[in-house]
Amino acid sequence: MGSVLAAASPSPDPQSAAAGGGMAVSGLMSVPPGFTMPPVSSVPPSADAGSALPNPGTYEECHRKCKEVFPLQMEGVRLVVNKGLSNHFQVSHTVTLSTVGDSGYRFGATYVGTKQTGPAESFPVMVGDMDNTGSLNAQVIHQLSTAVRSKVAIQTQQQKFVNWQCDVEFRGQNFTSAVTFGNPDVVVGSGIVVSHYLQSITPALALGGELVYHRRPGEEGTVTSLLGRYTGENYVATLTVGGAGAHATYYHKANDQLQVGVEFEASSRMQETLTSLGYQLDVPKANLIFKGTVDSNWVVGATLEKKLPPLPLTLALGAFLNHKKNKFQCGFGVTIG
Amino acid sequence: MAGIEELSPGSGPVATRPPEDEIDDDEDEDLDETLMERLWGLTEMFPDTMRTAAEASAHCSVSLVKKLYSFSRSALWVGTTSFMILVLPVVFETERLQLEQQQLQQQRQVMINGPRMYFVIFIPR
Repeated sequence: MGSVLAAASPSPDPQSAAAGGGMAVSGLMSVPPGFTMPPVSSVPPSADAGSALPNPGTYEECHRKCKEVFPLQMEGVRLVVNKGLSNHFQVSHTVTLSTVGDSGYRFGATYVGTKQTGPAESFPVMVGDMDNTGSLNAQVIHQLSTAVRSKVAIQTQQQKFVNWQCDVEFRGQNFTSAVTFGNPDVVVGSGIVVSHYLQSITPALALGGELVYHRRPGEEGTVTSLLGRYTGENYVATLTVGGAGAHATYYHKANDQLQVGVEFEASSRMQETLTSLGYQLDVPKANLIFKGTVDSNWVVGATLEKKLPPLPLTLALGAFLNHKKNKFQCGFGVTIG
Repeated sequence: MAGIEELSPGSGPVATRPPEDEIDDDEDEDLDETLMERLWGLTEMFPDTMRTAAEASAHCSVSLVKKLYSFSRSALWVGTTSFMILVLPVVFETERLQLEQQQLQQQRQVMINGPRMYFVIFIPR
């Protein structure tokens, strides 16, 4: 299955925080929890050598490079079977057994269309996910023209619609702008509008801003934040400052095997700060990917992913230990295909 | 002299005098108490400031040792479990990889050297 990867979602969480709530967290509206975005190229190759500034990528992806270094907390047992039925269609079955949450089965399907825009991208992309309780996550991404890409996503909890959003993204020569409409409800008169703008100032520096306008019957408000990203030779430093707090990440690629990320987050709503250090160790000869993290909340965690060669099996083991509360959580998962 | 008089049980009137066995117990108890009191009395020879200083430093050192002990216990636990989670799996896997590579190399050496077969001709008598 060449172009699109639709791996099973990390810890499906249908309770999206932005649903109906007054405050929207920046970046939350773009990817509803429950499925992964297919990898679309963030920085297309720059056209000229010196004069033209490259396209800076999307607003949400600025912090993603650092976030990917951190391990995800795993709990319980997860079995994922991915099967590619054709070049365009892929199906996945996920069985989750959990001690603290619900156990269930999840069926996912991905369809990739025929309009090819790049070496690894084809459009339209349709991703759907259904739970054994009937909760559905669906996403349709389509490239309307060379510069405009749009996405429609819905999320239901059993038969009730929890999240429905539509977003349009315009990629210019050296800027990207996007508008997202989240949970628009004409009858009640509520909704969330998020607009992003990211501009390349120099080939290494990109500045941008986000404006969130939320409205409910009786109250409305806006939250703004600014983003700056500096890309060095082997590092990326990003800073987001806004009404909801500050978020700074630093990503460093030490060598082929080791990548390090440092993240600092300060939230004005909860009046607390969090500093975390994460690292990722790739040992391709041993078919191993190891991610570890240490936190300022006295949380230590690690994830180990190992491919077991003759069969297309991947084994994932995870452990998280909270020293302050003395709580431990571990889990493992097997992915076939 | 005043101390000995006070402690003697025979000092009071007959009615208040405790019975025989109690007198012995009292004397023993008095003797124990006397010993402690005597030792305590010995400290009175040092000046006040020195006594308080010694008391404070003894107290501090005891509490310091206790704190150090509990700190080292929790530090050891946190260190061991964090090492176990963050470092140990990688160490296991890299060592396994090294062993495998060594084995492969050894096998390759054997293949390069070639199998040597020695023909022994056995002539039955």
